[in-house]
Amino acid sequence: MKHIVRTAGTLMASLVLATQAMAQDKPEQIDVGVFTFTSGAPAAYGQPGAQGAELMVDLINAAGGIDGVPLRATIVDEAQGAEGVIAEYRRLAGETSYQVMIAALSSSNCLALAPVAEQMQMPTIGWNCDTHQLFLDQQLDYTFRPNGNTIPEFVAYVAYLLQVNPDIERVAIINPDYAFGHDAAEIVKAAFRAFKPDVEIVAELFPSLGASSYQTEVSRLSAARPDAIFSNLWGADLENFVRQAQPRGLLTQSQTVLALGETILQRIDLPDGVIVGMLGDGYWLTPHAQANEDTVAFAEEYSNRFGEYPVFPTMKMANSFMVMKAAYEAAIEANDGEWPSRDEIAAALEGLETATFTGTARLREDNDGYVDQVIGVTGPSETYDFSVITNMVRYDGEALMAPLGEDPIAWIETLTPEFLETLPEPGSYN
Amino acid sequence: MLDMALPLIMDALANAALIFFVAVGLTLVFSVQRILNVAHGSFYSIGAYIAASMGLWLISAGLNPWLSFPALLLSAALVAMVLGPLVERTLIRWTYGRHEAIQILVTFGLFLILEDLQRLVFGVRSIYQDTPMALLGVTEIGGIFYLNYQLLLIVLALAVLFGMRFLIKHTRLGRLLVAVVADREVSLAMGINTDRAFVLAFTLGVFLAALGGALATPTTGVAPGLGAETMVLAFAVAAIGGLGQIEGAAVASIIVAGAKVLAVYYAPAFDTVAPFLVMLAVLLVRPNGLFGTATTRKI
Amino acid sequence: MKIIYALFAAAFAALAIVPFAAPWLQFVLTIAIAKGFAAVGVALLLRAGLISIGHAMFYAAGAYTAAFIVLWSGISDLFVLLIASTLVTAAIGALVGAYLVRYRAIFFAMLNLAVSMVFFALLSKLYGITGGTDGLRVPVPTVLGTTLTKAGFDIVLFYVALALMAIIAGLGVQFLKSPLGHAVGAIHTNEVRLEYLGVSAWSVLLIAYTISAALAGLGGAIAAVSIGHVLPEYAYWTESGHLVLTAVLGGIGGVAGPFIGSIFLEIVHTVAVGVAHNAWNLIMGATLLLVIFFLPQGLYGLVTKSADKTSSAKLGENKS
Repeated sequence: MKHIVRTAGTLMASLVLATQAMAQDKPEQIDVGVFTFTSGAPAAYGQPGAQGAELMVDLINAAGGIDGVPLRATIVDEAQGAEGVIAEYRRLAGETSYQVMIAALSSSNCLALAPVAEQMQMPTIGWNCDTHQLFLDQQLDYTFRPNGNTIPEFVAYVAYLLQVNPDIERVAIINPDYAFGHDAAEIVKAAFRAFKPDVEIVAELFPSLGASSYQTEVSRLSAARPDAIFSNLWGADLENFVRQAQPRGLLTQSQTVLALGETILQRIDLPDGVIVGMLGDGYWLTPHAQANEDTVAFAEEYSNRFGEYPVFPTMKMANSFMVMKAAYEAAIEANDGEWPSRDEIAAALEGLETATFTGTARLREDNDGYVDQVIGVTGPSETYDFSVITNMVRYDGEALMAPLGEDPIAWIETLTPEFLETLPEPGSYN
Repeated sequence: MLDMALPLIMDALANAALIFFVAVGLTLVFSVQRILNVAHGSFYSIGAYIAASMGLWLISAGLNPWLSFPALLLSAALVAMVLGPLVERTLIRWTYGRHEAIQILVTFGLFLILEDLQRLVFGVRSIYQDTPMALLGVTEIGGIFYLNYQLLLIVLALAVLFGMRFLIKHTRLGRLLVAVVADREVSLAMGINTDRAFVLAFTLGVFLAALGGALATPTTGVAPGLGAETMVLAFAVAAIGGLGQIEGAAVASIIVAGAKVLAVYYAPAFDTVAPFLVMLAVLLVRPNGLFGTATTRKI
Repeated sequence: MKIIYALFAAAFAALAIVPFAAPWLQFVLTIAIAKGFAAVGVALLLRAGLISIGHAMFYAAGAYTAAFIVLWSGISDLFVLLIASTLVTAAIGALVGAYLVRYRAIFFAMLNLAVSMVFFALLSKLYGITGGTDGLRVPVPTVLGTTLTKAGFDIVLFYVALALMAIIAGLGVQFLKSPLGHAVGAIHTNEVRLEYLGVSAWSVLLIAYTISAALAGLGGAIAAVSIGHVLPEYAYWTESGHLVLTAVLGGIGGVAGPFIGSIFLEIVHTVAVGVAHNAWNLIMGATLLLVIFFLPQGLYGLVTKSADKTSSAKLGENKS
């Protein structure tokens, strides 16, 4: 019986695969599926990513495409839920003109798509999702994440907070109620235990993703009288929270850390001194970015087209396109100029290292990326009429990443207060 | 514990005020039309979108920012006057006397249509309009800053509660509605224009929902999905208070808001569960709600 | 009558070649059949004149049960998962139903909504157990002890779902002809008379409610292993609304109706999503209104109109 089932399954699978045989000729056009949120509360974050993709496609095509082949992006809205996202992914992956997917924004969609990517043998570049669980207990051959993960991102914030304010004792956390928020809370608490064990967590709130009112949470946080408030709210949630918290004095009552704060600098007038960052190095105003004339040109073109400067989701998206382009080019070269298959592109992505608009993307053995972490505080700008990030630091991405194969949270617990002294000082990167 | 009492009460009242507007509209429509209007939450979000858009337009046109207060009221009235009669005459009227399943399905169809119309008209990104909140400033109560706008909401909710009582007990329209609710056929025989009473009651329900949405905009963003979320919360309040009970809706608003606020303070994991747990607990004991009775319907 | 069976056989054969003729439709159809089971459950209650705007909770219960079984016990055989999820959901349905079937009309609808919202809120808030709004991942199950690739499994699952659909449809037809099946319809027509005949409406409805929950649970379990991921949204109240919509669109007259509705909707959705992404709900809402106004027997009514005049049941029909 077992044998029959297996034979039948294999037979049918091969029949199906045979109907979608891969064309290896140089195509007329390269299609790429780009998964991001273009509706709902997360769209405030996802739309700048989609716009970044649109601009990157135009820029790459204006420069002759990839090996002379023009690029076309199909934007898929992640707001339709995992079921719809998977269906759409399968539909696109069923067409031979799609050889790479740039997916996804949300960690839960990355987790849901990873097995599909393996099944359909479709190289997939995680442009924004950053849950450390993605590569934790599974070997993925087709999912690559040059974007890096939550461990370095949130360890970096605790390090920065303690570097600028070593006397912190009472900390409150307000994060969105899903893996990203809960994981970040675990990482932040583990990092405090490692770096400053006497820190007390006085409130831990997880409002629902997409909640519109935060007034009660603001009261609760005020009442807890924390020295510092940590939050990784994002998208419209972050904007809502800040708009409701700021008039009630919360952001100045405590040292506030807004992990994804860079996205709202151009939209809301944040007070000076709020610790903000970009979960990586994707800020268009870092010394690295400003020293790269392509980045400056990209930011200017983006601002001309969309009426605001890029935010870090834009830069993450643009950097992912650069990784994809580098992979195509490496695969073509390895193939003696012949057009590569999906498998050959996946092979080229293995251990890829390439320059991006804001630094370097480097993939390690498990396909996760090393990305530097840039953090600073809000401050006035001489050039722009919105706040910029000042007193910046750039932590080496590899130093904050748990070694390959180690349980990341357990690794954080092994760190000591002395670890902080090995890190560069705030203000050392301006 | 005791030093938390004041913030707790303040937060519960501020939350209750916002839920009350939309729940009382739902309960009013149920008591007159005997319809559970699943699209009620959409009127709330449409009110919010119109109010936010109007406020943004006022500011961009350089007009006096204090005008944004009457604009909130005006946008709710606008939504009610356009959508109320239109929806009642085309869809709701058709369902009178039909099976509950049909009534619920028709309003669900309307809900789906209105949700997408909002996406098409207002886009899919959050919009914000916080001028009224900024103009009023803050007050310190128990060591915590509260928005004066939140205090104003509590006053407005009380005004609506007493306004509704006055309307029903002391005006001609109120008596007509009571008569129609009590016995539609006798009312008709007595020469009451029940059609007109139905339009008015439905429009008033739409107005209250839209008003709730409009008044919420200064403190929250408006985004797709707001209508669906609001609908179930309003439903929870209306069900706890007893469908058709206006005072019941007021008490239930405070209970639901209180449960949610207590959860945020002491058991944050249960903040969204709390209102529905309370609803289930109440309905298990009293399926007609705290103030509802099985046989008589009143408003 | 014969024309109908010929039509069904043709439709069934057309579905059976989908993995080869249109592979991209295979996943879509698996989901359509899964939701079809839930819609059949909703339709059964609608025949009794009861509208549940909370039935998505049983769909979600089936899906989460499958996920929990794999994660907690490590047992991951497809048939074990499907049977166990159906039984667990039936038990939950019996428990909830024992209380809810005492109520009629608006109160039945409301209480279902209330229970489903508690269920939804718990699924999305109990992060440690349910994975919160991220949901849980469901690994590829084995089939009779055989480990398959995801692609191979998906094809097996498609045919299992197709076969189950045929079995359920057959059983459903028998059920509707049985005394119990007639009693369900009689609750809508004249409940008092039914009680005078010595039949307890409570137990008839409880059985119907349990069956309807079990069907939804079976659908949820199929969806869970097909998608490979379970999410709290499965239980959201708008999903419950969509299940009722599916049942009504397809027609509640026969068991085939809800399946026709579900397959029709999923295919149209897949085809139209590129064109009308932001207007999909609008189209659905408008279609629902049109069906209620002009086609009270649903799509199934179109099929049976000329062929069979006995098995027609209209939504909310007053037969008294």
